[in-house]
Amino acid sequence: MRSSDVLTADVAVVGAGPAGLAAAGEAAAAGLDVVVVDAGARPGGQYWRHGPGAEGPAPGTHGRGTFSTLRAGLGRHGVRLVCGHQVWQAGRHDDGFVLRLRPVHDFPHDDAVERVSARRLIVCTGGYDRQLPVPGWDLPGVMAAGGAQALLKEYGTVPGQRVVVAGTGPFLVAVAAGLAEAGARVVAVCEANAPVRGWLRRPLAALGEPAKAVEAVRYAAALARHRVPYRTRTAVTRVHGDDSVRAVDLTALDHDGRPREATRTTVPADLVALGWGFTPSLDLLLTLGAATRLDGDGSLVVRVDDGQRTTVPGLYAAGETTGIAGATQAVREGLLSGLAVTADLGRAGRTGDGVDAGPSRSRRAARLRSGVRRGRRFAEALHAACPVPAGWTAWLAGDTVVCRCEEVPFAAVCHAVRELGAEDPRTVKMLARPGMGMCQGRVCGFATALITRHLTGHPSTAEALSAFGKRPLAAPVTLAELAASDDRTAPRTAPWS
Amino acid sequence: MSAGTRPPGADLPEHPDHLWREPDPKRSYDVVIVGGGGHGLATAHYLARAHGITNVAVLERGWLAGGNMARNTTIIRSNYLWDESAAVYEFALKLWEGLEAELDYPLLFSQRGVLNLAHSLQDVRDSVRRVEANRLGGIDAEWLDADGVREVCPIVDISPAARYPVLGGTYQPRAGIAKHDHVAWALARSADAAGVDLIQGCEVTGIDVRGGRVTGVRTTRGSIAAGRVALCAAGHTSVLAAMAGFELPLQSHPLQALVSELLEPVHPTVVMSNAVHVYVSQAHKGELVMGAGIDAYTAYTQRGAFHVVERQMAAALELFPVFARAHVLRTWGGIVDVTPDASPIVGRSPVAGLYLNCGWGTGGFKATPGAGAILAHTVAHDEPHPLARPFSLDRFTTGALVDEHGAAAVAH
Ligand SMILES: Cc1cc2nc3c(=O)[nH]c(=O)nc-3n(C[C@H](O)[C@H](O)[C@H](O)COP(=O)(O)OP(=O)(O)OC[C@H]3O[C@@H](n4cnc5c(N)ncnc54)[C@H](O)[C@@H]3O)c2cc1C
Ligand SMILES: Cc1cc2nc3c(=O)[nH]c(=O)nc-3n(C[C@H](O)[C@H](O)[C@H](O)COP(=O)(O)OP(=O)(O)OC[C@H]3O[C@@H](n4cnc5c(N)ncnc54)[C@H](O)[C@@H]3O)c2cc1C
Repeated sequence: MRSSDVLTADVAVVGAGPAGLAAAGEAAAAGLDVVVVDAGARPGGQYWRHGPGAEGPAPGTHGRGTFSTLRAGLGRHGVRLVCGHQVWQAGRHDDGFVLRLRPVHDFPHDDAVERVSARRLIVCTGGYDRQLPVPGWDLPGVMAAGGAQALLKEYGTVPGQRVVVAGTGPFLVAVAAGLAEAGARVVAVCEANAPVRGWLRRPLAALGEPAKAVEAVRYAAALARHRVPYRTRTAVTRVHGDDSVRAVDLTALDHDGRPREATRTTVPADLVALGWGFTPSLDLLLTLGAATRLDGDGSLVVRVDDGQRTTVPGLYAAGETTGIAGATQAVREGLLSGLAVTADLGRAGRTGDGVDAGPSRSRRAARLRSGVRRGRRFAEALHAACPVPAGWTAWLAGDTVVCRCEEVPFAAVCHAVRELGAEDPRTVKMLARPGMGMCQGRVCGFATALITRHLTGHPSTAEALSAFGKRPLAAPVTLAELAASDDRTAPRTAPWS
Repeated sequence: MSAGTRPPGADLPEHPDHLWREPDPKRSYDVVIVGGGGHGLATAHYLARAHGITNVAVLERGWLAGGNMARNTTIIRSNYLWDESAAVYEFALKLWEGLEAELDYPLLFSQRGVLNLAHSLQDVRDSVRRVEANRLGGIDAEWLDADGVREVCPIVDISPAARYPVLGGTYQPRAGIAKHDHVAWALARSADAAGVDLIQGCEVTGIDVRGGRVTGVRTTRGSIAAGRVALCAAGHTSVLAAMAGFELPLQSHPLQALVSELLEPVHPTVVMSNAVHVYVSQAHKGELVMGAGIDAYTAYTQRGAFHVVERQMAAALELFPVFARAHVLRTWGGIVDVTPDASPIVGRSPVAGLYLNCGWGTGGFKATPGAGAILAHTVAHDEPHPLARPFSLDRFTTGALVDEHGAAAVAH
């Protein structure tokens, strides 16, 4: 291994989304040596995703200016940005952390970085779309809402002509607006819950997130302009097709969230974009032993203090890993973690250029903290308004696939609980194998936990979900890569404690 | 099924037939078994089925069989060097051969053979000696040269230029693998049906001893009186012994394993290499299961140092170049309890009525039914089973050790 393959730094940041960019910039501005790693080809994360050749997200994208400022800050403060590299393992050693990296995409191998070693680690790995199974969801043409949006943002591709967007949450509106503006015919947006008409604007403003309100108004206007029907208390209960999506069943939901069969209609479509909120990416944090809690939307998230410190010394988390709350909140948390890491490492912060010495820093931290509290309240309200409908399992058939990697049907999960006596998702996994395949439960884990809860009557605890979600390898690596990373001269990681 | 025909799961029985009950602990039992891993469950099964003792509780602090039973790579074989150990493991292997029928449950016990590779002249001499010893003891052992190895397992690289040249190997055709979770459930179901209480989420925190005799245990779910107590806590047995006031010559080490994505069947047998510290099999669904050697660090963490895995995978790929592109999905580790002579401790302890079953180290899965049967006998008669006699605790003071480092230390 050449020495350039191993980077050392004061602070390593995983994730170059809103949270990671903010964290890195803040720490570097205080004079710390920072490395940022991201699996994507370009910085920006989910929210500021943009295509090859573009300087940043498309004009008109909300927060585009923030992205440019943060991006420029990295350059100014000498942050080393390692894109196109996935962190597949994180470990602790005596005086910090070691990250193991693997190049993704067709990254030129000469520039490959194999390890990053740093005294402090800020994990900003964001989240990914949460999925619930529905009969036919394994047909080509059914996508995660975020996946459809990612194709659009990164490559300008509209992956269908007649689109149904369904699930819950304001994100559906953003996806539908994007697809409609790009020329797709959005035949329906189905929101499983029943937020009051114009809901996006009022609660957002009332909760002190005016920026979100402006964004929402813009999406609503786009939907109106393209005459996109917005149906509340409605879900896609079945997807029809042979080789690909041909049509979908839309069914109104009753008060328990169960489909009211009499209302079922079938509409032709060739693209179904489904989204039930987001699941935080906790692989690295759980492996390192950070304590967790259950958030309002049922997600397992990592616990942090008011400086974004996790329960593991030297380990910080910001953005969606601490709770799904959007890009603005992610930036605030990122900045706070940068300030905290600076203080913890004993740096005065920005004294060099005299912009931001001690007292103003603590004022800024206080302002950010109150912003984070506000963001949290906003997120809680949103989670409360957009729960997964309690009765959703009623639209599953016995042969509906729950775990796609291992092809485990709903009936097998029922069997594990009802006949074999499994009481928690981990035992269900051992008895019926959902989550044992290639994705290790990243896709089906949430649904398996909900189905188990539905069948047993008791919800999963944070402990049970942590045990279920622990993945020492954050990404599958080949045996050859594992073998190649054997390096007798590199510092040894001590056993985890 | 189209939406709206029958409700999901309608075909499932109304009254679920669970594998075992979830009883609350009683105030007292004739026998308390500490540890609901494979050995604890097997002991309960044989106490009930072979000795008619059913007023028994198995106390497990976590989930049943969530410890090493859930983490091991399930290699079963009996080709150990010394008569004493070969006898125990062969006794267990014979029980395995009848266990599916005995428990009336599919255990996916697959006698696909186990190959132990030899990479140096010293390896060859040791291996041949072991084969001869095994044959004298009536165990099916064969010595294969390099070509013989390739015949049994064509994907092993036997080229002389390899970093670890394969000079040959020992082969036991009756050896193989089984499905660990099925084994645990089947034993649990049998014990439960005989009236044994399997109590999960119940950690033993103290052992009561009066006048040199055990009287019960203290647990996170209250005190439980017991006439006899059997320790089956694998890597945590020293901690329990300390509660009863004595020490055991055990060291706890993390041992690691990993599993790949599903592959087409390519690997027909089990291959182990002591020199390289790896062993590889292809499980029933097609995933490769690979074990790494023991970590040198003494620790109670259920994870090991990662560089151990890297080092050993580098070596494994030298033997199996075809696996270079297989994706590893998961790694995990367990704590194994290792004795100075790499042989188990089974029998009485310094405290009357308290029995030991520990020190199985890296290789106790294969012993599961044997260890259970032997310990049940020992508990029932307050007298070591004949096969257990050489494995008493006092061998570490008398010096009558059963040194199995060659056959057991790293390998399984
Ligand atoms: C598909 C998708 C689309 C979204 N679109 C919107 C939207 O339009 N509007 C909106 O308000 N919110 C959207 N969100 C929510 C969005 O996640 C947040 O608003 C915001 O992007 C969160 O910022 P973050 O920094 O916490 O995480 P992210 O922006 O998700 O950034 C995390 C980064 O970490 C990297 N990463 C993760 N794991 C690893 C690893 N192991 N190794 C290396 N790099 C890694 C990822 O590549 C990613 O770039 C979307 C979320 C998703 C999942
Ligand atoms: C990675 C790995 C690979 C292995 N591969 C093989 C192999 O291929 N072949 C082979 O033969 N062997 C193998 N082994 C060894 C084998 O797993 C063990 O020797 C065997 O499982 C130990 O017996 P057990 O099943 O009873 O242990 P366990 O399943 O560990 O049972 C012990 C139980 O005791 C419980 N316990 C501990 N303390 C307390 C307490 N105070 N109160 C209540 N309960 C308590 C624990 O929670 C645990 O469930 C391997 C081990 C590991 C870690």
